[in-house]
Amino acid sequence: MCGLCGVFVGEDHWTDATVGESGSGGRTRRHERLHRVAQANRILKQYGLKLSDWQGSAYLLGNQTGQTSIVSSVAAVWPAAERLRRQAIDPLDVRLIEVLERD
Amino acid sequence: MTPVNVLTGFLGSGKTTLLQRLLRSPRMARTAVLINEFGEIGLDHLLVQRVDESVVLLQSGCICCSIRDDLASALRGLLSRRERGEIPAFDRIIIETTGLADPGPILYTLLSEPVIRHHFRLGNVITTVDVVNAELHLSRNREGIKQVAAADRLVLTKSDLAEAGQTEGVREELARLNPSAKIWDAAQEPVNADFLLDGMPSALMPGPARYRPQNEGARVGGADTTKGLRSHTESVASMSLILDRPMDWTAFGIWLSLLLNRHGDDVLRVKGILCVEGSDTPVLINGVQHIVHSPQHLESWPTDEHRSRIVFITRGIDQGQLRRSLEAFCRFRTAELALA
Repeated sequence: MCGLCGVFVGEDHWTDATVGESGSGGRTRRHERLHRVAQANRILKQYGLKLSDWQGSAYLLGNQTGQTSIVSSVAAVWPAAERLRRQAIDPLDVRLIEVLERD
Repeated sequence: MTPVNVLTGFLGSGKTTLLQRLLRSPRMARTAVLINEFGEIGLDHLLVQRVDESVVLLQSGCICCSIRDDLASALRGLLSRRERGEIPAFDRIIIETTGLADPGPILYTLLSEPVIRHHFRLGNVITTVDVVNAELHLSRNREGIKQVAAADRLVLTKSDLAEAGQTEGVREELARLNPSAKIWDAAQEPVNADFLLDGMPSALMPGPARYRPQNEGARVGGADTTKGLRSHTESVASMSLILDRPMDWTAFGIWLSLLLNRHGDDVLRVKGILCVEGSDTPVLINGVQHIVHSPQHLESWPTDEHRSRIVFITRGIDQGQLRRSLEAFCRFRTAELALA
């Protein structure tokens, strides 16, 4: 599965894998998806973006002007977010790291 | 699931010789071999005729991108012929790549092609390194570093022809570049197929420290060799991290997917055994550049030590910043990720 084009593979992405007894941290699948959305939003909100679950099968990514994009996995969120935001989202960006450290 | 091993390494570094030695083992009697030809003369084919019917010569060029479909077709073909009883029922496949092959697309084919991923599992990636010419290869072959980083087993060859200290220098530098791989000297030790083809990556087992800061000096014996090699590999660094408490898999996945989205070309390898919340057993994570293997559950911890261990091999990335980023994303305390 490719981190860049995983969305086209058509099967479960590695970030969707269940690793706990019933999901990471013992969560149900539904709960796990919501947890994933919340974790992603912790990053995305720094860029004025918001992710939401779409019927348990995809994710909706939107910005503050109402532009939205449907993505199939968390890995596909990042290229879509960079397109919507028109800037790179870099996890090594020291400003982002400092914000998350204060969070 | 039939295991598939990838045998790669620089041109002339002894891949076929190693393959021949491996195939002499009775344990390998039911192994099919795929050889990727480069150029017009199938020398490698002539040298491994003993596997005759199971050998499928890929048609053209380098395996890395142009004929990835050929690799998929070859694997599907082997599967189909085995099912129809046209060839002996093999229980393992070894793919010998060209010296110029980028291992990434090969692993991508194995892990993502819909038919292949459900019938085959990726075994160890074995990379041969010619001790005498290691510096030449690493300086002239862009794929050389990727081959070393992707390896689970690094095989030193021609150490019997090396000058004093040369082998130690190469060994030292390879251990710095890829601490998750176990190094084996083909000229000094008997072939152990079990060790080469299967088994837990050594750096993920509890043991002595394997992290070497980028500029730390090598041992005296190999200092000259290491210095020479280092001039070609200095942008590549490795880091082994340990975490004592269970981690949130979801937060880790989000961080890693974002890291690979932005820096995947320079994250040559991520390999780890993780202690995750909600699971009593460990999870293996294995990634080569943009390609990440589905996390794999182990039935039990290999030892009494139940801690996460992750190895990162990166090119041109500040590893201190990488560690700080992981801590911030996963809400670890500052410096909670210990260097192994």
